[in-house]
Amino acid sequence: MRLEDVWLRYRRRGPWVLRSVQVRVDPGQVVVVTGRNGAGKSTLLQLAAGVLRPVRGRLADRPRAVGWVPERFPADQPFTVERYLTGMARVAGLPGVEAERAVGRWTARLGLVPFRAVRLPELSKGTAQKVGLAQAMLRDPGLLVLDEPWEGLDAAARDLVPELVDEVVAGGGSVLVSDHRGETVRLPGARRWAVADGTVTEEDPTGTETFAVVELAVPSAQVAGTVARLRADGHHVLRVRPDAVPTADPGAAPGPPRAAEDAPDPSGSTAGPAAGHR
Amino acid sequence: MTALVRLRLAAFLRTGRALAPALAGLVALGILYGGGRAQPAEAYGVSAVVLFPVLAWQTKILLDVEPDGQRRLVRVLVGPTREQVAGLLAAGVAALVTIAVALVFPWLVGGVTGPVEPGDRSVPAGILVGVWAHLLALPAAVALGALASRASTGSAGYGVAVLAVGGVAAVALGLRGSVAPWLVPPVMATARAAAGDLPAITVLLLSAWAAAWCLAAGTVYLWHRRFRP
Repeated sequence: MRLEDVWLRYRRRGPWVLRSVQVRVDPGQVVVVTGRNGAGKSTLLQLAAGVLRPVRGRLADRPRAVGWVPERFPADQPFTVERYLTGMARVAGLPGVEAERAVGRWTARLGLVPFRAVRLPELSKGTAQKVGLAQAMLRDPGLLVLDEPWEGLDAAARDLVPELVDEVVAGGGSVLVSDHRGETVRLPGARRWAVADGTVTEEDPTGTETFAVVELAVPSAQVAGTVARLRADGHHVLRVRPDAVPTADPGAAPGPPRAAEDAPDPSGSTAGPAAGHR
Repeated sequence: MTALVRLRLAAFLRTGRALAPALAGLVALGILYGGGRAQPAEAYGVSAVVLFPVLAWQTKILLDVEPDGQRRLVRVLVGPTREQVAGLLAAGVAALVTIAVALVFPWLVGGVTGPVEPGDRSVPAGILVGVWAHLLALPAAVALGALASRASTGSAGYGVAVLAVGGVAAVALGLRGSVAPWLVPPVMATARAAAGDLPAITVLLLSAWAAAWCLAAGTVYLWHRRFRP
Protein backbone atom coordinates (compact mmCIF):
# COMPACT_ATOMS: atom_id res chain seq x y z
CA MET A 1 0.00 0.00 0.00
CA ARG A 2 1.27 3.45 -0.87
CA LEU A 3 0.38 6.94 0.26
CA GLU A 4 1.30 9.19 -2.62
CA ASP A 5 1.71 12.88 -1.80
CA VAL A 6 -1.17 12.74 0.67
CA TRP A 7 -2.42 15.94 2.29
CA LEU A 8 -5.16 16.06 4.88
CA ARG A 9 -6.99 18.68 6.88
CA TYR A 10 -10.25 18.31 8.73
CA ARG A 11 -12.02 21.39 7.42
CA ARG A 12 -11.73 23.84 4.59
CA ARG A 13 -9.13 26.51 5.35
CA GLY A 14 -8.16 24.57 8.50
CA PRO A 15 -4.52 23.73 9.27
CA TRP A 16 -2.98 20.83 7.42
CA VAL A 17 -2.68 17.87 9.76
CA LEU A 18 -0.62 15.89 7.28
CA ARG A 19 1.37 17.39 4.43
CA SER A 20 2.83 15.67 1.41
CA VAL A 21 3.02 12.25 3.01
CA GLN A 22 4.83 9.77 0.82
CA VAL A 23 5.19 6.34 2.43
CA ARG A 24 4.81 2.75 1.46
CA VAL A 25 4.27 -0.50 3.32
CA ASP A 26 4.67 -3.84 1.60
CA PRO A 27 3.04 -7.19 2.36
CA GLY A 28 4.69 -8.91 5.30
CA GLN A 29 5.89 -5.67 6.88
CA VAL A 30 5.12 -4.16 10.26
CA VAL A 31 5.35 -0.40 10.72
CA VAL A 32 5.32 1.33 14.08
CA VAL A 33 4.00 4.88 13.91
CA THR A 34 5.50 7.18 16.53
CA GLY A 35 5.02 10.81 17.45
CA ARG A 36 3.93 13.03 20.29
CA ASN A 37 0.29 13.51 21.25
CA GLY A 38 -1.60 15.37 18.54
CA ALA A 39 1.13 14.87 15.95
CA GLY A 40 -1.24 13.10 13.59
CA LYS A 41 -0.56 9.40 14.28
CA SER A 42 -4.23 8.48 14.50
CA THR A 43 -5.00 10.60 11.44
CA LEU A 44 -2.35 8.75 9.46
CA LEU A 45 -3.68 5.39 10.62
CA GLN A 46 -7.25 6.36 9.76
CA LEU A 47 -6.12 7.39 6.31
CA ALA A 48 -4.42 4.05 5.84
CA ALA A 49 -7.47 2.16 7.10
CA GLY A 50 -9.84 4.04 4.83
CA VAL A 51 -11.74 5.93 7.52
CA LEU A 52 -10.47 9.27 6.20
CA ARG A 53 -9.85 10.16 2.61
CA PRO A 54 -7.05 12.46 1.58
CA VAL A 55 -7.89 16.01 0.56
CA ARG A 56 -5.01 15.81 -1.92
CA GLY A 57 -2.97 12.88 -3.15
CA ARG A 58 -4.07 9.28 -3.13
CA LEU A 59 -3.75 5.88 -1.52
CA ALA A 60 -2.87 3.05 -3.84
CA ASP A 61 -2.98 -0.73 -3.51
CA ARG A 62 -4.80 -0.85 -0.21
CA PRO A 63 -5.77 -4.47 0.49
CA ARG A 64 -9.47 -5.22 0.19
CA ALA A 65 -9.80 -6.64 3.71
CA VAL A 66 -8.72 -4.07 6.28
CA GLY A 67 -8.99 -4.51 10.03
CA TRP A 68 -8.95 -1.33 12.10
CA VAL A 69 -8.73 -1.19 15.88
CA PRO A 70 -9.50 2.36 17.02
CA GLU A 71 -7.91 3.82 20.11
CA ARG A 72 -11.27 3.76 21.88
CA PHE A 73 -13.75 1.05 21.01
CA PRO A 74 -17.30 2.48 20.62
CA ALA A 75 -18.92 0.45 23.38
CA ASP A 76 -22.07 2.56 23.65
CA GLN A 77 -24.15 0.16 21.59
CA PRO A 78 -27.20 -1.92 22.52
CA PHE A 79 -25.73 -5.30 21.62
CA THR A 80 -24.20 -8.20 23.45
CA VAL A 81 -20.64 -9.11 22.51
CA GLU A 82 -21.84 -12.11 20.51
CA ARG A 83 -24.60 -10.25 18.68
CA TYR A 84 -22.25 -7.38 17.86
CA LEU A 85 -19.42 -9.55 16.57
CA THR A 86 -21.80 -11.73 14.56
CA GLY A 87 -23.37 -8.61 13.07
CA MET A 88 -19.97 -7.18 12.17
CA ALA A 89 -18.89 -10.48 10.64
CA ARG A 90 -22.01 -10.46 8.46
CA VAL A 91 -21.40 -6.82 7.54
CA ALA A 92 -17.86 -7.81 6.56
CA GLY A 93 -19.36 -10.28 4.12
CA LEU A 94 -18.91 -13.57 5.95
CA PRO A 95 -21.79 -15.99 5.37
CA GLY A 96 -23.77 -17.22 8.40
CA VAL A 97 -21.88 -20.35 9.38
CA GLU A 98 -18.52 -18.81 8.66
CA ALA A 99 -19.43 -15.73 10.68
CA GLU A 100 -20.40 -17.84 13.68
CA ARG A 101 -17.19 -19.85 13.36
CA ALA A 102 -15.09 -16.67 13.20
CA VAL A 103 -16.87 -15.21 16.23
CA GLY A 104 -16.38 -18.46 18.17
CA ARG A 105 -12.72 -18.57 17.27
CA TRP A 106 -11.89 -14.99 18.17
CA THR A 107 -13.94 -14.82 21.34
CA ALA A 108 -12.11 -17.93 22.55
CA ARG A 109 -8.76 -16.59 21.46
CA LEU A 110 -9.19 -13.25 23.17
CA GLY A 111 -10.76 -14.60 26.35
CA LEU A 112 -14.17 -13.15 25.57
CA VAL A 113 -16.17 -16.37 26.00
CA PRO A 114 -17.44 -15.43 29.49
CA PHE A 115 -18.58 -12.08 28.09
CA ARG A 116 -20.45 -13.30 25.01
CA ALA A 117 -23.84 -12.54 26.53
CA VAL A 118 -22.73 -9.29 28.18
CA ARG A 119 -23.91 -6.03 26.66
CA LEU A 120 -21.17 -3.83 25.26
CA PRO A 121 -21.75 -0.82 27.57
CA GLU A 122 -21.26 -3.09 30.59
CA LEU A 123 -17.75 -4.19 29.55
CA SER A 124 -14.60 -2.87 31.19
CA LYS A 125 -12.34 -0.73 29.02
CA GLY A 126 -9.89 -3.57 28.47
CA THR A 127 -12.57 -6.10 27.57
CA ALA A 128 -14.17 -3.63 25.17
CA GLN A 129 -10.76 -3.17 23.58
CA LYS A 130 -10.59 -6.94 23.07
CA VAL A 131 -13.93 -6.77 21.26
CA GLY A 132 -12.35 -4.10 19.08
CA LEU A 133 -9.46 -6.45 18.34
CA ALA A 134 -11.84 -9.32 17.61
CA GLN A 135 -13.93 -7.36 15.10
CA ALA A 136 -10.76 -6.40 13.23
CA MET A 137 -9.64 -10.03 12.98
CA LEU A 138 -12.96 -11.61 11.97
CA ARG A 139 -11.95 -11.75 8.33
CA ASP A 140 -8.26 -12.31 7.68
CA PRO A 141 -7.05 -8.73 7.19
CA GLY A 142 -4.63 -7.93 4.42
CA LEU A 143 -3.92 -4.74 6.34
CA LEU A 144 -4.27 -4.52 10.11
CA VAL A 145 -4.27 -1.01 11.56
CA LEU A 146 -3.87 -0.84 15.33
CA ASP A 147 -4.25 2.50 17.07
CA GLU A 148 -2.80 2.15 20.57
CA PRO A 149 -3.94 -1.49 20.76
CA TRP A 150 -2.39 -2.10 24.18
CA GLU A 151 -4.49 0.59 25.83
CA GLY A 152 -6.41 -0.88 28.75
CA LEU A 153 -5.33 -4.47 28.14
CA ASP A 154 -4.10 -6.65 30.97
CA ALA A 155 -0.66 -8.28 30.88
CA ALA A 156 -1.89 -11.54 29.33
CA ALA A 157 -3.84 -9.76 26.63
CA ARG A 158 -0.93 -7.45 25.86
CA ASP A 159 1.09 -10.48 24.84
CA LEU A 160 -1.65 -11.40 22.38
CA VAL A 161 -1.16 -8.31 20.25
CA PRO A 162 2.29 -9.30 18.93
CA GLU A 163 0.88 -12.79 18.24
CA LEU A 164 -1.89 -11.31 16.11
CA VAL A 165 0.60 -9.09 14.32
CA ASP A 166 2.82 -12.09 13.59
CA GLU A 167 -0.14 -14.03 12.21
CA VAL A 168 -1.19 -11.26 9.88
CA VAL A 169 2.37 -10.81 8.66
CA ALA A 170 2.82 -14.56 8.23
CA GLY A 171 -0.30 -14.56 6.09
CA GLY A 172 1.21 -11.96 3.79
CA GLY A 173 -0.55 -8.98 5.34
CA SER A 174 0.80 -5.67 6.57
CA VAL A 175 0.43 -4.09 9.98
CA LEU A 176 0.49 -0.46 11.04
CA VAL A 177 0.57 0.16 14.78
CA SER A 178 0.86 3.23 16.95
CA ASP A 179 1.87 3.21 20.56
CA HIS A 180 2.97 5.69 23.18
CA ARG A 181 3.60 3.22 26.00
CA GLY A 182 6.75 1.64 24.61
CA GLU A 183 4.94 -1.62 23.98
CA THR A 184 6.21 -1.77 20.43
CA VAL A 185 9.49 -3.20 21.72
CA ARG A 186 7.43 -6.38 21.48
CA LEU A 187 7.58 -6.00 17.70
CA PRO A 188 11.25 -6.47 16.86
CA GLY A 189 12.14 -5.83 13.27
CA ALA A 190 9.33 -3.37 12.70
CA ARG A 191 9.94 -0.29 10.57
CA ARG A 192 9.28 3.02 12.27
CA TRP A 193 7.53 6.06 10.87
CA ALA A 194 7.85 9.26 12.89
CA VAL A 195 5.01 11.75 12.57
CA ALA A 196 5.94 15.34 13.40
CA ASP A 197 4.86 18.76 12.13
CA GLY A 198 2.49 17.20 9.64
CA THR A 199 5.13 15.14 7.92
CA VAL A 200 6.02 11.47 8.12
CA THR A 201 9.62 10.34 8.01
CA GLU A 202 11.01 6.87 8.21
CA GLU A 203 13.45 6.45 11.07
CA ASP A 204 16.83 5.01 10.26
CA PRO A 205 16.50 1.24 10.42
CA THR A 206 20.22 0.78 10.91
CA GLY A 207 19.93 1.37 14.62
CA THR A 208 21.81 4.57 15.27
CA GLU A 209 19.75 5.22 18.37
CA THR A 210 21.98 5.39 21.43
CA PHE A 211 21.23 3.68 24.70
CA ALA A 212 22.32 4.19 28.28
CA VAL A 213 22.60 1.56 31.00
CA VAL A 214 20.97 2.37 34.31
CA GLU A 215 21.90 0.23 37.29
CA LEU A 216 19.48 0.04 40.14
CA ALA A 217 18.97 -1.94 43.31
CA VAL A 218 15.64 -3.29 44.45
CA PRO A 219 14.66 -5.51 47.39
CA SER A 220 14.91 -9.17 46.37
CA ALA A 221 11.22 -9.73 46.96
CA GLN A 222 10.38 -7.07 44.40
CA VAL A 223 12.72 -8.17 41.61
CA ALA A 224 10.15 -10.01 39.50
CA GLY A 225 7.61 -7.22 39.75
CA THR A 226 10.17 -4.53 38.95
CA VAL A 227 11.46 -6.42 35.92
CA ALA A 228 7.90 -6.85 34.67
CA ARG A 229 7.15 -3.15 35.14
CA LEU A 230 10.33 -2.07 33.39
CA ARG A 231 9.51 -4.29 30.45
CA ALA A 232 5.95 -3.03 30.40
CA ASP A 233 7.35 0.50 30.18
CA GLY A 234 9.38 -0.45 27.15
CA HIS A 235 12.80 -0.81 28.77
CA HIS A 236 15.15 -3.67 28.02
CA VAL A 237 16.25 -5.60 31.11
CA LEU A 238 19.60 -7.20 30.36
CA ARG A 239 20.16 -9.27 33.46
CA VAL A 240 19.51 -9.47 37.20
CA ARG A 241 22.29 -10.07 39.77
CA PRO A 242 20.79 -11.17 43.07
CA ASP A 243 24.05 -11.14 45.02
CA ALA A 244 24.84 -7.51 44.42
CA VAL A 245 25.96 -5.53 47.45
CA PRO A 246 24.42 -2.08 47.53
CA THR A 247 26.98 0.67 47.65
CA ALA A 248 26.56 4.30 48.47
CA ASP A 249 25.87 6.63 45.59
CA PRO A 250 28.87 8.94 45.58
CA GLY A 251 26.91 11.74 44.03
CA ALA A 252 23.86 11.71 46.25
CA ALA A 253 24.52 10.86 49.91
CA PRO A 254 22.63 9.56 51.76
CA GLY A 255 20.48 8.46 48.78
CA PRO A 256 19.28 4.99 47.89
CA PRO A 257 21.71 2.09 47.50
CA ARG A 258 22.91 1.18 44.03
CA ALA A 259 23.83 -2.21 42.60
CA ALA A 260 24.82 -3.64 39.30
CA GLU A 261 22.60 -6.36 37.91
CA ASP A 262 24.54 -9.29 36.68
CA ALA A 263 22.58 -12.52 36.94
CA PRO A 264 20.17 -14.25 34.63
CA ASP A 265 16.80 -12.63 34.46
CA PRO A 266 14.49 -14.50 36.89
CA SER A 267 11.65 -14.22 34.43
CA GLY A 268 13.64 -16.45 32.10
CA SER A 269 14.11 -13.97 29.30
CA THR A 270 17.54 -13.22 27.98
CA ALA A 271 16.41 -11.11 25.09
CA GLY A 272 17.15 -7.43 24.74
CA PRO A 273 19.55 -5.65 22.46
CA ALA A 274 20.15 -2.81 24.83
CA ALA A 275 19.94 -2.12 28.50
CA GLY A 276 18.10 0.23 30.67
CA HIS A 277 16.58 3.50 29.79
CA ARG A 278 15.47 4.49 26.30
CA MET B 1 -25.54 -4.26 2.62
CA THR B 2 -28.53 -6.18 4.00
CA ALA B 3 -26.57 -7.16 7.10
CA LEU B 4 -25.64 -3.54 7.74
CA VAL B 5 -29.21 -2.34 7.27
CA ARG B 6 -30.38 -4.98 9.74
CA LEU B 7 -27.67 -4.07 12.25
CA ARG B 8 -28.63 -0.40 12.13
CA LEU B 9 -32.35 -1.11 12.42
CA ALA B 10 -31.63 -3.41 15.37
CA ALA B 11 -29.64 -0.66 17.10
CA PHE B 12 -32.44 1.84 16.42
CA LEU B 13 -35.06 -0.44 17.96
CA ARG B 14 -32.99 -1.74 20.88
CA THR B 15 -32.02 1.66 22.19
CA GLY B 16 -35.68 2.66 22.47
CA ARG B 17 -34.92 5.84 20.55
CA ALA B 18 -37.50 4.74 17.98
CA LEU B 19 -40.26 5.44 20.50
CA ALA B 20 -40.13 9.23 20.40
CA PRO B 21 -40.80 9.73 16.67
CA ALA B 22 -43.32 6.86 16.70
CA LEU B 23 -45.29 8.54 19.48
CA ALA B 24 -45.00 11.93 17.77
CA GLY B 25 -46.34 10.40 14.57
CA LEU B 26 -49.27 8.81 16.39
CA VAL B 27 -50.11 12.06 18.16
CA ALA B 28 -49.97 13.98 14.86
CA LEU B 29 -52.22 11.43 13.17
CA GLY B 30 -54.57 11.45 16.15
CA ILE B 31 -54.93 15.22 15.91
CA LEU B 32 -55.32 15.01 12.13
CA TYR B 33 -58.07 12.42 12.18
CA GLY B 34 -59.68 13.65 15.38
CA GLY B 35 -61.21 16.62 13.62
CA GLY B 36 -63.59 14.74 11.38
CA ARG B 37 -63.88 12.30 8.50
CA ALA B 38 -62.50 12.84 5.02
CA GLN B 39 -62.20 10.80 1.88
CA PRO B 40 -59.01 8.70 1.67
CA ALA B 41 -57.10 10.64 -1.00
CA GLU B 42 -57.60 13.98 0.73
CA ALA B 43 -56.90 12.58 4.20
CA TYR B 44 -53.77 10.75 3.09
CA GLY B 45 -52.46 13.83 1.27
CA VAL B 46 -52.56 15.82 4.51
CA SER B 47 -51.21 12.80 6.42
CA ALA B 48 -48.13 12.80 4.16
CA VAL B 49 -47.56 16.49 4.95
CA VAL B 50 -47.90 15.88 8.67
CA LEU B 51 -45.60 12.86 8.58
CA PHE B 52 -42.88 14.58 6.54
CA PRO B 53 -41.07 16.19 9.50
CA VAL B 54 -41.74 13.12 11.66
CA LEU B 55 -40.07 10.84 9.11
CA ALA B 56 -37.16 13.26 8.77
CA TRP B 57 -36.75 13.31 12.57
CA GLN B 58 -36.98 9.53 12.69
CA THR B 59 -34.23 9.31 10.07
CA LYS B 60 -31.99 11.67 12.02
CA ILE B 61 -32.46 9.64 15.18
CA LEU B 62 -31.80 6.34 13.42
CA LEU B 63 -28.57 7.66 11.92
CA ASP B 64 -27.49 9.35 15.16
CA VAL B 65 -27.99 6.23 17.28
CA GLU B 66 -24.81 4.74 15.87
CA PRO B 67 -21.70 6.08 17.65
CA ASP B 68 -19.25 7.90 15.39
CA GLY B 69 -16.60 5.26 16.09
CA GLN B 70 -18.90 2.45 15.03
CA ARG B 71 -19.84 4.26 11.82
CA ARG B 72 -16.12 4.52 11.04
CA LEU B 73 -15.55 0.83 11.77
CA VAL B 74 -18.32 0.02 9.31
CA ARG B 75 -16.80 2.38 6.78
CA VAL B 76 -13.55 0.41 6.96
CA LEU B 77 -15.44 -2.85 6.43
CA VAL B 78 -17.69 -1.89 3.52
CA GLY B 79 -16.36 1.39 2.15
CA PRO B 80 -17.83 4.89 2.37
CA THR B 81 -20.51 4.60 -0.32
CA ARG B 82 -22.09 1.43 1.00
CA GLU B 83 -21.91 2.73 4.57
CA GLN B 84 -23.84 5.85 3.58
CA VAL B 85 -26.34 4.09 1.33
CA ALA B 86 -27.03 1.45 3.99
CA GLY B 87 -27.90 4.22 6.44
CA LEU B 88 -30.37 5.73 3.99
CA LEU B 89 -31.87 2.30 3.27
CA ALA B 90 -32.31 1.54 6.96
CA ALA B 91 -34.03 4.90 7.41
CA GLY B 92 -36.20 4.12 4.38
CA VAL B 93 -37.29 0.78 5.84
CA ALA B 94 -38.15 2.42 9.17
CA ALA B 95 -40.10 5.11 7.32
CA LEU B 96 -42.02 2.46 5.37
CA VAL B 97 -43.19 0.92 8.64
CA THR B 98 -44.31 4.32 9.91
CA ILE B 99 -46.15 4.98 6.65
CA ALA B 100 -47.87 1.59 6.83
CA VAL B 101 -49.14 2.52 10.29
CA ALA B 102 -50.25 5.91 8.98
CA LEU B 103 -52.19 4.26 6.17
CA VAL B 104 -54.00 1.87 8.53
CA PHE B 105 -54.50 4.34 11.37
CA PRO B 106 -57.49 6.34 9.98
CA TRP B 107 -59.46 3.14 9.37
CA LEU B 108 -59.01 2.16 13.02
CA VAL B 109 -60.24 5.50 14.36
CA GLY B 110 -62.93 6.12 11.74
CA GLY B 111 -61.09 9.04 10.22
CA VAL B 112 -61.98 8.25 6.60
CA THR B 113 -65.16 7.76 4.70
CA GLY B 114 -66.12 6.25 1.35
CA PRO B 115 -67.47 8.17 -1.68
CA VAL B 116 -70.15 10.65 -0.67
CA GLU B 117 -71.28 12.05 -3.99
CA PRO B 118 -71.37 10.65 -7.49
CA GLY B 119 -67.99 11.19 -9.15
CA ASP B 120 -66.04 10.83 -5.92
CA ARG B 121 -63.00 8.55 -6.02
CA SER B 122 -63.56 4.97 -4.97
CA VAL B 123 -61.91 3.83 -1.74
CA PRO B 124 -59.24 1.69 -3.51
CA ALA B 125 -58.38 4.59 -5.83
CA GLY B 126 -58.16 6.91 -2.82
CA ILE B 127 -55.87 4.51 -1.02
CA LEU B 128 -53.70 4.27 -4.13
CA VAL B 129 -53.37 8.05 -4.24
CA GLY B 130 -52.59 8.04 -0.52
CA VAL B 131 -49.84 5.45 -0.94
CA TRP B 132 -48.37 7.52 -3.78
CA ALA B 133 -48.47 10.72 -1.68
CA HIS B 134 -46.67 9.01 1.22
CA LEU B 135 -44.10 7.36 -1.03
CA LEU B 136 -43.35 10.76 -2.53
CA ALA B 137 -42.74 12.21 0.94
CA LEU B 138 -40.63 9.25 2.14
CA PRO B 139 -37.35 9.74 0.21
CA ALA B 140 -37.52 13.50 0.67
CA ALA B 141 -37.96 13.08 4.42
CA VAL B 142 -35.11 10.56 4.56
CA ALA B 143 -32.87 12.95 2.63
CA LEU B 144 -33.71 15.84 4.99
CA GLY B 145 -33.12 13.63 8.04
CA ALA B 146 -29.79 12.49 6.62
CA LEU B 147 -28.73 16.10 6.01
CA ALA B 148 -29.64 16.85 9.63
CA SER B 149 -27.79 13.83 11.04
CA ARG B 150 -24.71 14.22 13.23
CA ALA B 151 -22.55 12.59 10.58
CA SER B 152 -23.51 15.32 8.14
CA THR B 153 -23.65 18.41 10.34
CA GLY B 154 -21.00 17.45 12.86
CA SER B 155 -23.04 18.90 15.72
CA ALA B 156 -26.37 18.24 17.39
CA GLY B 157 -27.31 21.94 17.34
CA TYR B 158 -26.83 22.36 13.59
CA GLY B 159 -28.71 19.11 13.04
CA VAL B 160 -31.80 20.32 14.89
CA ALA B 161 -31.62 23.62 12.99
CA VAL B 162 -31.45 21.82 9.62
CA LEU B 163 -34.38 19.63 10.61
CA ALA B 164 -36.52 22.53 11.84
CA VAL B 165 -35.77 24.80 8.90
CA GLY B 166 -36.36 21.96 6.44
CA GLY B 167 -39.65 20.94 8.04
CA VAL B 168 -41.01 24.49 8.25
CA ALA B 169 -39.78 25.41 4.77
CA ALA B 170 -41.47 22.36 3.24
CA VAL B 171 -44.79 23.74 4.46
CA ALA B 172 -44.16 27.48 4.14
CA LEU B 173 -42.61 27.37 0.67
CA GLY B 174 -45.12 24.75 -0.41
CA LEU B 175 -48.13 27.03 0.11
CA ARG B 176 -50.12 28.12 -2.90
CA GLY B 177 -48.52 31.23 -4.38
CA SER B 178 -45.09 30.50 -2.89
CA VAL B 179 -42.22 32.42 -4.51
CA ALA B 180 -39.87 29.42 -4.53
CA PRO B 181 -41.83 26.18 -4.30
CA TRP B 182 -39.09 24.29 -6.13
CA LEU B 183 -36.73 24.76 -3.20
CA VAL B 184 -38.66 22.20 -1.17
CA PRO B 185 -40.07 18.75 -1.89
CA PRO B 186 -43.67 18.80 -3.20
CA VAL B 187 -45.44 17.48 -0.11
CA MET B 188 -47.87 20.41 0.03
CA ALA B 189 -48.44 20.41 -3.73
CA THR B 190 -49.11 16.67 -3.56
CA ALA B 191 -51.66 17.13 -0.80
CA ARG B 192 -53.48 19.77 -2.87
CA ALA B 193 -53.36 17.60 -5.97
CA ALA B 194 -54.61 14.53 -4.07
CA ALA B 195 -57.70 16.44 -2.99
CA GLY B 196 -58.51 17.33 -6.61
CA ASP B 197 -58.91 15.47 -9.88
CA LEU B 198 -55.25 14.46 -10.16
CA PRO B 199 -54.64 13.97 -13.88
CA ALA B 200 -51.82 11.66 -14.94
CA ILE B 201 -49.59 14.52 -16.04
CA THR B 202 -49.79 16.03 -12.54
CA VAL B 203 -48.77 12.70 -11.06
CA LEU B 204 -45.80 12.54 -13.39
CA LEU B 205 -44.73 16.12 -12.77
CA LEU B 206 -45.00 15.85 -9.01
CA SER B 207 -43.14 12.52 -9.04
CA ALA B 208 -40.39 14.03 -11.20
CA TRP B 209 -40.22 17.08 -8.90
CA ALA B 210 -39.88 14.86 -5.82
CA ALA B 211 -37.27 12.68 -7.53
CA ALA B 212 -35.23 15.71 -8.61
CA TRP B 213 -35.36 17.21 -5.11
CA CYS B 214 -34.29 13.92 -3.53
CA LEU B 215 -31.51 13.52 -6.05
CA ALA B 216 -30.23 17.01 -5.25
CA ALA B 217 -30.53 16.55 -1.47
CA GLY B 218 -29.00 13.07 -1.63
CA THR B 219 -26.08 14.37 -3.68
CA VAL B 220 -25.48 17.15 -1.17
CA TYR B 221 -25.53 14.58 1.64
CA LEU B 222 -23.12 12.19 -0.06
CA TRP B 223 -20.83 15.05 -1.12
CA HIS B 224 -20.93 16.51 2.38
CA ARG B 225 -20.04 13.15 3.89
CA ARG B 226 -16.96 12.75 1.67
CA PHE B 227 -14.74 14.29 4.33
CA ARG B 228 -16.97 13.56 7.32
CA PRO B 229 -16.49 9.92 8.27
